[in-house]
Amino acid sequence: MALLELDNLTKRYGGLVAVNRVTMRVDVGEVRAVIGPNGAGKTSLFHLITGVVRATEGDVRFNGRSLNGLSPYRICQAGLSRTFQLTALFPEMTARENTRLSAQARLARRWQPYGGGSVFAEAARRGDEALERLGLTDVARRPAGLLSHGDQRLLEVAMALAQRPRILLLDEPTQGLSVEETLSAVETLSGLLADGQLTVLLVEHDMEVVFRLARKITVLHRGSVIADDVPEVVKADANVQAAYLGGYT
Amino acid sequence: MGNWRLFFLAAIVLAAAPLGLPLFAMTLLTEALILGLLAMSLDLMVGYTRMISFGHAAAYGLGAYTCGFLALHTAMPLPFSLLAAALLAGVVAIGVGWVCTMATGISFSMLTLAFAQLLYALAFKWTSVTGASDGLAGIPRRAGPFGMTVLETRNGYYYLVLASMLGGFALCRSLVNSPFGAVLRGIRENEAKTLSLGYNTRLYKISVVTISFALGGLAGALYAPFAGFANTDLLFWLFSGQVLIMVIVGGQGTLVGPILGAAFFMLVEHVLSAYTDAWALFFGLIFIGFVMFALEGIWRILTSRLPARSRA
Repeated sequence: MALLELDNLTKRYGGLVAVNRVTMRVDVGEVRAVIGPNGAGKTSLFHLITGVVRATEGDVRFNGRSLNGLSPYRICQAGLSRTFQLTALFPEMTARENTRLSAQARLARRWQPYGGGSVFAEAARRGDEALERLGLTDVARRPAGLLSHGDQRLLEVAMALAQRPRILLLDEPTQGLSVEETLSAVETLSGLLADGQLTVLLVEHDMEVVFRLARKITVLHRGSVIADDVPEVVKADANVQAAYLGGYT
Repeated sequence: MGNWRLFFLAAIVLAAAPLGLPLFAMTLLTEALILGLLAMSLDLMVGYTRMISFGHAAAYGLGAYTCGFLALHTAMPLPFSLLAAALLAGVVAIGVGWVCTMATGISFSMLTLAFAQLLYALAFKWTSVTGASDGLAGIPRRAGPFGMTVLETRNGYYYLVLASMLGGFALCRSLVNSPFGAVLRGIRENEAKTLSLGYNTRLYKISVVTISFALGGLAGALYAPFAGFANTDLLFWLFSGQVLIMVIVGGQGTLVGPILGAAFFMLVEHVLSAYTDAWALFFGLIFIGFVMFALEGIWRILTSRLPARSRA
């Protein structure tokens, strides 16, 4: 069953076509990666899905409902939680407060202007659960701004997870990490995805990461889809090799 | 818990003040509490949400003129005039907040300044209501409802001011510690992220402006019958700047700090102006000193010297 569908999605900035008639779908329980060289339109695609920028043409449907024209907070409330390519956290709050505030956004009484003990308790419970799944329990009480870069990347995933999203959108989860940090982050993430409960769309340019995590791959090149298949087929695709992989096998 | 004990202690000390202080000191203290309420209301925007308003005089002036007008032209009892003034400031703030939050950062600050100056110009021109450059003079302290006359006395009025300030503090404190307050801290640290987490940040910001203006309006409304007048100085940008200085010197994001900042400002003005007309120059130097060496403000300096237990 399709959870997220992009239909002829196009974004033009003047003469530049950042995203060109992209049509793709993500099914429930699927882990799909969007790959492509720098400037292929991967992050633009994320911004279109999450409402940060508006599409020039085309449509994004989530669970059969169009997300066109909705503001980012409404799209998030519909069940799409994202991380950012450049780590976006609340640096002066502890890791635990970060996930708590994230989980709070999903509770009916999130705006209650007084008291709030029970709201905080439920949000903290969901947040702590997410921290544990990403192995961050030990650093939960440290200010987020003081965590290692690797832990900060994982904390952002934990924040998205704490919202119990229907689809998790990860924008280059290993961006800026050292080789060792990347290995350990990928280890943690593949453990998280192993049970097949989560639906994930991730953007990534590190091939190792993509082939470890994703079951389906969409290849973007200059804003257009040039391949869409399982990793083995994509790897062998001549177009993809020419455009991007540079003989990677 | 320690915090609430401190709160009750401060309330008791302030409530006992008329027993021990001479008249002129009571007048100063009353004004300091009124300004403290104003500075605290601005702290909700500046300290908790990182919305730097250069136009908080607008709330104060609006409250003062509304209360003054009602006292001069109607027989409305004082407490109702106060509420009406706070309500009007709050309602106006919905519009102000809606317009000003179209921008962020320095543009937001400039829009708040522009709006306050607009009210300033209006107060100058709308002679029939505001008395133009003369302002409203001879504003009486109308007897309370049911023939209550206690608010007309100096001490009675002091207790009204004290109750308003403590009530305002309890309200603000509950607000910043609530789920709503947690979202404000999110906006302060990373607004784009807060929005992407599914919070309608603009609505939260407009709400903060509204609450802040309503409390600031209440402070202005308390000032008019206290001083007996309301004039355009209360709406001037210079005054907006002074309130911002009170917040920063006292300690932004602490609620108590800005109240102390207001008292400190009044004290310094009172002491220095006895010696020199250029007291503002020296206060400027003190302010620069705070910004360079003690940006955390008076309240955090005081509390960092207390044992850790009572700080929690």
